[in-house]
Amino acid sequence: MSRLDALRGPEPAVDHNARTIAALAANPGCDRRAVFDAAGVDKQAIARHLGYPAPFGQSVFAITRARAFEELVKADGCAHLLRLLRELLGLTVAEVAYDDIADVGGNASHAVRHARTRALLRRAATAPPGDVAAAGTLFDHPLLRLDMGGAEVYLEPDVIAFQARGRFHVIAIKSFAVIDGQADPARVAAAARQAAVYVHALRRLFEEEGLDPARVAHDVVLVCPKDFANTPTATLVDVRQQLSVLARQLSRLTRVDRILDRLPPGLTFDLRKDADGTPTRSSADLAQAVRKVPARFAPDCLSSCDMAYFCRAEARERGSTDLLGRAARDELGGVASVPAVLALAEGTREPAADEVEIAAQLRLAHRLYAETTRAMGTVA
Amino acid sequence: MSLLTAYARARAVREGRAQPIATVRHLHLSPRPLVFIPLRLAGEAAAPLGAMVGTDPAEPRLLVVPQPRDRDLRFAFVAELAAIMLPYIQRYAAATETVEAKTPYERSLDAPQILVPNPRGVAFTRLLGRSCRFRRPDGPYPVHPSVPLLGQWLTFLADRAEFPGSSMLVAMTDALAAHWATGQSQVEDGNLAALVGWIDPPDGMTGPEAAAAAEDMVWSPPAGPETAPDFDAQVLAPAIRAYAASGSDVQVRDAVRSQLEPTWKVMWRAVELLRRLPEAGGVAGRWERDRAEFTREAVRIAEGGPPRGRHDSAVGAAVRLSTMERAQQAYEVQRALDDPLVMAEHRMAGKAFAGRVVHVEVERKIVPPGRTRPVNRPLVTVATDDPVRLAPGDVLISPARPKQHCEVVEVRQGEVVLQVNDGMGRGARPAPGSVPEIGESVCYADLDPGDGRGFPFPSKEETPWTHGGPPAEYVPTDEDAMEEWS
Amino acid sequence: MKLEVLEERIIHLRQQVRRAMAAGERARVRGLRAELRAAERAWEEALEPRFEFEFEASGPPPVRESVHRALSLLGVPAAARLIVAVDEAFHGGGLLGERLTGLLRDEERAFRAAPHARPYRLCAALTADLLSPARGLIAVSTWPLEVRVVGPLSARTGFLTSAVRIAEEIIRLRESGTDAAPAAYRLLTRMARNIPGAVEGYGPADPATVIAAARAELAVHEPADRARRSAAAARAAHRLDPAEQLFGARLRTAGAGRTRRTA
Repeated sequence: MSRLDALRGPEPAVDHNARTIAALAANPGCDRRAVFDAAGVDKQAIARHLGYPAPFGQSVFAITRARAFEELVKADGCAHLLRLLRELLGLTVAEVAYDDIADVGGNASHAVRHARTRALLRRAATAPPGDVAAAGTLFDHPLLRLDMGGAEVYLEPDVIAFQARGRFHVIAIKSFAVIDGQADPARVAAAARQAAVYVHALRRLFEEEGLDPARVAHDVVLVCPKDFANTPTATLVDVRQQLSVLARQLSRLTRVDRILDRLPPGLTFDLRKDADGTPTRSSADLAQAVRKVPARFAPDCLSSCDMAYFCRAEARERGSTDLLGRAARDELGGVASVPAVLALAEGTREPAADEVEIAAQLRLAHRLYAETTRAMGTVA
Repeated sequence: MSLLTAYARARAVREGRAQPIATVRHLHLSPRPLVFIPLRLAGEAAAPLGAMVGTDPAEPRLLVVPQPRDRDLRFAFVAELAAIMLPYIQRYAAATETVEAKTPYERSLDAPQILVPNPRGVAFTRLLGRSCRFRRPDGPYPVHPSVPLLGQWLTFLADRAEFPGSSMLVAMTDALAAHWATGQSQVEDGNLAALVGWIDPPDGMTGPEAAAAAEDMVWSPPAGPETAPDFDAQVLAPAIRAYAASGSDVQVRDAVRSQLEPTWKVMWRAVELLRRLPEAGGVAGRWERDRAEFTREAVRIAEGGPPRGRHDSAVGAAVRLSTMERAQQAYEVQRALDDPLVMAEHRMAGKAFAGRVVHVEVERKIVPPGRTRPVNRPLVTVATDDPVRLAPGDVLISPARPKQHCEVVEVRQGEVVLQVNDGMGRGARPAPGSVPEIGESVCYADLDPGDGRGFPFPSKEETPWTHGGPPAEYVPTDEDAMEEWS
Repeated sequence: MKLEVLEERIIHLRQQVRRAMAAGERARVRGLRAELRAAERAWEEALEPRFEFEFEASGPPPVRESVHRALSLLGVPAAARLIVAVDEAFHGGGLLGERLTGLLRDEERAFRAAPHARPYRLCAALTADLLSPARGLIAVSTWPLEVRVVGPLSARTGFLTSAVRIAEEIIRLRESGTDAAPAAYRLLTRMARNIPGAVEGYGPADPATVIAAARAELAVHEPADRARRSAAAARAAHRLDPAEQLFGARLRTAGAGRTRRTA
């Protein structure tokens, strides 16, 4: 889509991964994010140039640990993984084939790897039942592809497993620990959302190949360290709920061209880097361009989107109640700005027809608050 | 989040300063709390990196693990931590009193209080306890005997932290957020320095300006247990390499101290902010419960009790859940009775109201159904502007007379008529002061503190087969002591 | 003395780098970083001058020899991780994983320069389908092609065979009176946990049990694996030149695609 290319500028598009897609799907109401991600804009560079760099990233120690654990799980022909899959999925002794799709004869380009992935999966799906050597069992570093609102995204799950009963399972290897059978729920939830993206992409691939997408299981195998040692343990995680949420939100994203139609022609987020790589475009100019695409700030953005701090500052300038978080905003009956909330509470503004009820409650809140804090001497 | 607290947040945005959502302090604050700020190596389950600990703001103790992946150094850290925490905990176990009850029991005069920056600090404490309580001083992977002992105490404290109304292990962000509403979101309130910045900004700064300064991780490092990724890559990793090369931990100590000192100062500022609030009436009673549980655990451990098993038995889990639910109910009701600002929530919902007594029929007597003798049942009419959503027959209590039950007789525009059912003494006429008088300001609420009695659970031996049958006694095994750390 | 001065300077420079980064002053960051690197190098120098050089002169055997010794024990192509573990278990250790990266590249270069200068070369294992170098595996040039080719089942059969060879070596050492090092038993036990029936509970593995269990599973895979490898070896002998037979054929396609930068 050349409109998206124009918005991005001459820089190559930024790669998506399952995490960014899961995050994008989490805030589908944000046009700014939809456009940036569809165009493959480098949000980190833009946020930095605007003066609002996002401080997050993964620690080197976490990255090292994750890599080391993954290597352990996959070592020796995926010895640990086979043990776990035999226990969890009932893989038979004969099902031990291993195919690595990290490169194809030395060629590691996306297109080649994706073609090989399709070929191997198709072969597995159509092989005569019981012929393990022909079908294959474990596919390491597979490369899937997903169409995201006109842009193609390559996704790389950890491993895909195939069993003679005909089912394909996505395998996710994570380095957070399962202690006494329990893991950090937030991290399991994030892993489940991410894995759902892979299941979805794999099912789309099956559809394109004329295969039955139901052969891709909605149970994902989550492999984690057990207790405080490094020994891998595995659990099945049902991601049906995440899949339906994702499908819903992806379908909303396909309408990015509708958002683009509303944008002024000639709009671009190009940083106009010089030969040195330094942006030459003024940050004020860039900010003005960015503001042309409306955002929908929520505090969750702070942990998942590079633009969050810029969008938060914008929400603050407007006094938007989005700042206070979804729970507060819902309680405030969806009134959009803080000054409006206070004006309704203090009776200095006439409520609109759909604000009558919330205005009455706010006036009550104002009265009770003043009454009960009077003794504290802190009421303004 | 309620409309009232959301409104308070909107006020905070305008005022540029956090707004109170409590008029009194609903948690116990020890005259000598122990502040504990742990740091963990990113990517590991429970690999401590360091900690700052102490009861005196002027004397922080710094503990560091210069190579967090080295098992021996990890347990040396825990032993060092135990050398500070165990004496602090154990001196409270020594002084006890006997409590008169149907079965008299021992209760310590006071109990330890550990303060951590945030709920993840509580989770880390629990994890550290779990990773230590099964270790043994003998066998293939021996540790110092204080390590499993500290593990048991940390596990106990983490359990208490889950209990509504308990104050033995407190996450400061939760404690502050229960008393103040900032003009940012609850997610951002998870940053202790930002939260304190909103509540008590330095001179010349607004709340949001102080919070923004707190978000700059170079000047205001995260309160942990996580460290900032930039710090890990640029400062910590080279320092650990330097330790590996030279054997000197100076660089790692400097690095870890630089991350902990700012949070140490913020923690003590937070303590002072909470101390300025007057203590709520229900705090002493809840602290007594903490003290009783503390004594029970101290006795159990002193008698050589084994570490708690990894999993609850079915009966144990059900009992714990039921106890916590009751405690939650009691805690919420007590807070409302102790604090008009909390009671205001119930007034907003129409389940409570405040007003002035305009009419009293003190002499009224009726013969209740099923009885033969007339009893005192005064009628009290209260004028109120609050939107009352109560119905005749609802039973109400009042902060001024929490043991007295009043029944709604009629709700009219601007007025509620109540019948006083008890709490008047045994005389022919109501005891003086037991019934509100004309002109008195009163507040009544549809709240039930619960009766304190438990659901009669079966004993452990009688666990039904649907729940796995009676559980085996937990006996720690070699496997537990042997768990290697990665 | 000098060390402390350098340390102070390094801490100071680090703070400056972070502040400049937070302020987005890229050019300044670059300059500061260069100064920081120089200071760190000076620190290393001041700490242990010329350490590397002394080590080389009288240290442990060259990497390729240690790798060859470990692979000879295993008898099948193996990854760096296992090679290092075998070296530690049976040959005293000291082989560092990092030293193995780039090893094959160096061997290939040396081979092309002087094909017959050495009695053996460390070489690649070839994938059965494309005869390209199998990622992460190292083999020995003196092994027959069938052994140096890997099919889809070979990762597992290689693992099982390695376990057998390691167990046999432990038995041999036991019977000769010296017994194997604890590291060898630990390695065997770790491997045995992933072979059904090879070990029970949490104790150490018994070599004879491991051999029996591994052979039992090998029997399931071996026919198909061997057939696949023989066919591929025949193709390789027919189609590939000597260098390619050692280091693999490379697949080249036109227009491998524009590289995309990752987020």
